[in-house]
Amino acid sequence: MYKSFSDHLLDWAGRILLTLILGFLVLPFIVVFIASFNESAILSFPPQSWSTRWYVNAFEYRDFGNGLRNSLRVAAFGAGIALVAGAGFAYVFNRYDFAFKNTLNGILLSPLIIPNFTIGLGVLVLTAAASMPRNVWTVVAVHVIIVLPFVVRSVYVSLQNLERAYEQAAESLGGRPLHVLLTITLPLLLPGLVAGAIFAAILSFNEFTASLYVVSQRTETLPVAMYNYVREYADPTLAAMSVLYVAAVAALLLLVHKIFRLEKVLNVD
Amino acid sequence: MLIDTAQASAQQTADAPAVRVEGVSKSFAGSVALEPISMRIERGEFLTLLGPSGCGKTTLLNLIAGFLEADQGELYIHDKPVTRVPPYQREIGIVFQNYALFPHMSVARNVGYGLRTRGVPKAEAERRVREALALVKLEDFADRRPRQLSGGQQQRVALARALVIRPRVLLLDEPFSALDRNLRAAMQVELREIQTSLGLTTVFVTHDQGEALSMSDRIAVMSRATIRQIGTPSEIYDHPQNHFVASFVGDANMFRATLLEAEGSDARLKLGETEARITSFQTDLPAPGPVTLFVRPEHCHLAEPGTPGTIPATVALSVYQGSHTELHVDCPLAEGGRAMLRVPSRTSVAPGEPLAIGLAESGAAVFGAED
Amino acid sequence: MTKRPFLGWFASPSILIAFGITASVLAIVQYSLRAHVPGSIDPGGFTLANFATLWHVAYGLVFLNSLLLCIWTALFALLIGYPLAYAMVRARSLSLRSAILLISLTPLFLGEIVRTYSWMIVLGNRGFLNSVLLQTGLIERPINLMFTMSGVVIALVHFTLPIVVVMLAAALSHIDRNLERAATSLGAGRIRVFLTVTLPLSIPGVVAATSTAFAWTFSAFATPQMIGGGQVQTISTMVYQVGFASFNFPLAASLSLMGLLFAVAVLAIFNTGMRQLERHGAH
Repeated sequence: MYKSFSDHLLDWAGRILLTLILGFLVLPFIVVFIASFNESAILSFPPQSWSTRWYVNAFEYRDFGNGLRNSLRVAAFGAGIALVAGAGFAYVFNRYDFAFKNTLNGILLSPLIIPNFTIGLGVLVLTAAASMPRNVWTVVAVHVIIVLPFVVRSVYVSLQNLERAYEQAAESLGGRPLHVLLTITLPLLLPGLVAGAIFAAILSFNEFTASLYVVSQRTETLPVAMYNYVREYADPTLAAMSVLYVAAVAALLLLVHKIFRLEKVLNVD
Repeated sequence: MLIDTAQASAQQTADAPAVRVEGVSKSFAGSVALEPISMRIERGEFLTLLGPSGCGKTTLLNLIAGFLEADQGELYIHDKPVTRVPPYQREIGIVFQNYALFPHMSVARNVGYGLRTRGVPKAEAERRVREALALVKLEDFADRRPRQLSGGQQQRVALARALVIRPRVLLLDEPFSALDRNLRAAMQVELREIQTSLGLTTVFVTHDQGEALSMSDRIAVMSRATIRQIGTPSEIYDHPQNHFVASFVGDANMFRATLLEAEGSDARLKLGETEARITSFQTDLPAPGPVTLFVRPEHCHLAEPGTPGTIPATVALSVYQGSHTELHVDCPLAEGGRAMLRVPSRTSVAPGEPLAIGLAESGAAVFGAED
Repeated sequence: MTKRPFLGWFASPSILIAFGITASVLAIVQYSLRAHVPGSIDPGGFTLANFATLWHVAYGLVFLNSLLLCIWTALFALLIGYPLAYAMVRARSLSLRSAILLISLTPLFLGEIVRTYSWMIVLGNRGFLNSVLLQTGLIERPINLMFTMSGVVIALVHFTLPIVVVMLAAALSHIDRNLERAATSLGAGRIRVFLTVTLPLSIPGVVAATSTAFAWTFSAFATPQMIGGGQVQTISTMVYQVGFASFNFPLAASLSLMGLLFAVAVLAIFNTGMRQLERHGAH
């Protein structure tokens, strides 16, 4: 395609702008990466001397290990329950008309607007008012509420893209509803379901604000443990922790991208 | 006595139509998708539902397949009421518009799906899948995935998958629309051959009149949620019963006229300034008054301007078609101001040239306003 | 014939969760109407005193602060996010596309703590930015970014940018490229094509992205808490403070209830306004 001088100028302006924006996005992670190797407990740029001792510290700090175990457990159960409930709801919402369908939809998607601190506070005062014990299941419940809308949306998009003719063909060939569900619908929805589950698990793993309201010392999740650490200590242990966190999430995302292509999952293709 | 009755009922079942539709109707959210209709589809018959989009043909297909439940009326397949029978118990084979081949299964597993749902023993299922694939000449493609096949091959797989369950009725939902022109013609011949050799009752949905005329035993022309005419292709083309069928199938010239008198099939019409006599193929003509005169282009000829009984017109455009030339003419008496004639290719006429349209003695019809 | 197989089975779990959500919101409403008993978590009798307490300039400023924070954040997120989304959707090479995608989306999956902490290191008085500026001699004394509105906005823009990019990219990717080609063929230059075709067609995406950025910012807690350090009060930090520093849960409940109503009202006004604008723009 022919390009005029002004077109080239636009191209270059665009490239510079893009680089600046991407720089803004990665800057904090580069900085935290450098800071994590700073020998001194007091921040300085550039670091005077280098060390990996904060990584050792991060691994040895008991609250992080405890928080990681809690977070993994909560994310697994939270995402699992949200997947089952969310996929089921997306299916009936896509397929059927029933009483209070839109009310139910509105309530389930409301956590997209209700701030997390309100959800956390709500569950906290609910358990207090109903004299319910607060344990790991309270945390799971909060996480299910928060990640459910994302699962519903992901599965709903997959369902909308699923041509009804596949299921109709299977039905005409003698497949009973359950058989069709298991041999046609579920396999064809699998990418959406897996993506929804992974998305939900990551969101749950990261959830901080609402968790802060309902965790106890024993059920503290990793983000809460990290927050508490910053409030008590100023050393770069948390920088080391952040680097590990970023590395783990980036690896997971790269894997998802390789298998499913993020463009598809996020519907930006 | 007992044996007689059994025989009689067996006899009756064998004679019963493959599909019987009795007063079946369907509405969606208050809008009528199908007026109450009744029809019979005989065994081994190839019946086409022809009509523009939104005419109700797909609704009727979905009602026969069981994907929709009728609001009223009763549907019989081989004389058994199936109105409330779910699709998976209807023993109906369907080829969908985009084939709907299961993308996560091989060709063989696609074709074998209906046998697995029926619990057919593995060895027999494999044999029947092989036979079905042989029937559509795809024996060597059993292990491929659907997306590795061409459009024509995918359609054959879809056909094999529908046939392998030995359906009582085969439904085809615009199966050729995704194919290019040449492949389409070849597939039409092949499908018709297979259908005839198996003696398979087939219901074919299309909006393509050419396809309908060339393939069907009978055609049901539909519009506005109802069947406007049902008959053999030549009945539909040569003897359309109403304005819609006449204009939807084939090329038609429609002229505004006044019916002066009618006797049997003979009619005397006032056409603008002149009068004409025609012999209609209709058995009963509408009452005298304003009517529409229908004549196919092949029943029109060029005449000298001013000849009594002809319709004046001027040439707008002539389109060379090889074997003949189409003359599109401006004609004040024609509906939409336009009519069309087919004339020998050598005929030389220039745009703007006045001419007259002469009518053949037969092949015309007169439709009243309500048709 | 069951016309709606699985309806009961599939809907039940979500109905249970919907009851949980409803009960939590009702619990907040209930608490907001109860008296605070100092030294006790359990609330006292029914009263409207909490809402009377909220009717005070100090709380009004907190609401105003939250609103300003949301507006600034949404505005900058949009300005930065749009070119990024555009580049992501229109990048010709697949690897550049993937790179933009991964870089812009990874922060989405990192949570508030890691991102906020990273920004603390960047923005602090002995942090990266001030060190670089001091050492290059561009400034003589550190700029105060921590504990300021600007610092919080910078971190919040970073926080909301990924979701804004996703939503804008979704909108942009669904615009038929032939519309732009048609405009080009009619003699429009690239900037004109963008302003007259691409931008107007992406407005629904912009509206959705703005609403989401607003909701996310409103919901953010760790960023204003850690970077604002008590100097930048928002509804979220106030609710936490009232709840966990004073253990006045009835007041925290009424504050978050008013906050929710405030957020819903602002979003409703924004969306109605945009719809009006679109309708007038269509003429």
